[in-house]
Amino acid sequence: MSQRFRAGSGFVIAAMLSGLATMSVAGQSRATAKAYTAPRTPDGQPDLQGIWTNNTFTPLERPKGVTKEFYTREEALEVIKRATLVESEQTEPGTVADVHYDFTQFGLDRSQETMALNLRTSLIVDPPAGRLPPLSVEGQRRAADRAAARKARGGTHDAVQNEPLGARCILMDRNGPPMLAGAYNNGYQIMQAPGYVMILTEMLHDARIIPLDGRPHLPANVRQWTGSYRGRWEGQTLVVETTNLTDKFAFQGASENMRLIERFTRTAEDTILYRFTVEDPATWTSPWSAEVPWKRTTGPIFEHACHEGNYGLYNTLAGARAEEKKAAGEAEKKETSK
Amino acid sequence: MRMRRAVVGVAAGVLLAAAPVMAHHAFSAEFDINKPIKLRGTLTKWEMINPHSWFHFDVKGADGKVASWMIEGGSPNQLIKLGVTKNTLAVGTEMIIEGYQAKDGTNKGVGRNLVLANGQRLFLGGSVNQLTDIKPGAK
Repeated sequence: MSQRFRAGSGFVIAAMLSGLATMSVAGQSRATAKAYTAPRTPDGQPDLQGIWTNNTFTPLERPKGVTKEFYTREEALEVIKRATLVESEQTEPGTVADVHYDFTQFGLDRSQETMALNLRTSLIVDPPAGRLPPLSVEGQRRAADRAAARKARGGTHDAVQNEPLGARCILMDRNGPPMLAGAYNNGYQIMQAPGYVMILTEMLHDARIIPLDGRPHLPANVRQWTGSYRGRWEGQTLVVETTNLTDKFAFQGASENMRLIERFTRTAEDTILYRFTVEDPATWTSPWSAEVPWKRTTGPIFEHACHEGNYGLYNTLAGARAEEKKAAGEAEKKETSK
Repeated sequence: MRMRRAVVGVAAGVLLAAAPVMAHHAFSAEFDINKPIKLRGTLTKWEMINPHSWFHFDVKGADGKVASWMIEGGSPNQLIKLGVTKNTLAVGTEMIIEGYQAKDGTNKGVGRNLVLANGQRLFLGGSVNQLTDIKPGAK
C-alpha cells in the first residue's frame, strides 16, 4: 500500500517541478498588471477569449497563524510543494477516506494541471485580514434556521432531495457564480460576440451567456441557480453583476439577495485577473472581495455531462437502504432472542 | 537560517490549504470500508463518462466461473487533457483492481488502485505516452 503512495509522490514532485518552470507570478504587482493592453476582438472588445484555469492551492480564507498578505516566492513554492504531496497521498489506507479512486491516476490532482503561482496567502483581499467578515445578526439567525431545516429533513441519504446539490449534478459550491477552483475540472472557456460574453464552466458544464447591452435584470421574482447576470466594460475590465440568486444555493451561506460583482482583466498574454465582490448585508457585516489569477491552459474542454453517468447517486441510496435493511434485520433478531 | 524560519512559518497554512481532494459525492456512502476487494480482471468495456468513469471487467472466480464487475474511476476530463482517449485502454486489457465493494453488495466497486498486468499503475506517472506503447495483454 505504501509503495503506491511513494510512486505517486515521485511523479507528482517531478510534475510539479517541471510545472513551476513555466509558472508566472500573479497577483503581487498591480502596477505591472496595468501595463498590459489586451488585443481587441473584431467588434472592439478587449479579448478575453480562450481556455483558462483558476487552479490554485491558495485558500479562500487566510490560514490561521499566517499574518501577512503575500508569501515570498520561496515560501509560496514550499506551500505548493507540501500541498501537492499531501494531495497525492490524500488518504490513509484502511480509513474511510481511502474508499476512493486514486486522483493521481486520473490526472485529477492539482499538480497535473496548469497553475499560476499566486503569492497571496488568501484569495480574500478585502477585508485586509484575508478572512470572511463576521456574520450579521440576520446572517447568524438564517444559518441557525437553515441548520434546523436540514436536520428536520432527515439524513443526507434518506432521500434524493437531501443529497448535496453537487451529488445531484445541479451545482457545485465552487461553480458559483462566483467561480472558484476545486481540485479538478477547473477549466473555463470564454467566447465573445458582439454584445455578449459567454463563460463556460467545465465542472457541471454551465454556460453563462452574459449580455452587454445594458438591459435590466430579470424581474425580482425570477430566481435562477446562477442568477441574472449583466455585463459591461469599464476600460480593460469586463464587469459582470449578478443578482436574482436562489435560496436553494447559498454561496458561503449567503442570502438569495446577494449581489455579486465580478471583474475580469487581462493582465498578460496568458493571464486574466479575476476579482469578485460579494455584497450581502443580510449575511455579512461588510462586503468582501477576493482575487485569483486565471492562467491560459490547453483545451478542448470535454463536456462534463454529470447527470448522464451519475450512477454514484443510485449506488449511494442503494447502499443506505441495504444498511437500513441489515440494521432492521439485526434489531429483529435481537428482539426475537430476548 | 532565514529560509528555514520561513518554511516553519508557512507550515500551518499548508495544512489548511491541503485539505483532501473532494469528489462530488461521498464515496464512503457508496462503498464499504469493510469490504476491501482485490480482483484480477479483463476489461470488457470502459465507460469514459462523467461525473465518474466506469470500468467493466470479467473476473474469473476460484470456481472458474466468470463474474462481471463494474469499477468506478475518475472523471475523464483531465485525462483527455493529458492525451488519454477512449482508445488508450483496449478491451481485453488485463488489470488488477484494489478497492472496495459497493455497500449494497452487488458486483460494483471503487478502483482505489488500478494496475496493469506488467505492474504499471494505470495512467499514472506521466505514463500516458508510455501506455500507448503497451500492447494489450502483453507481459
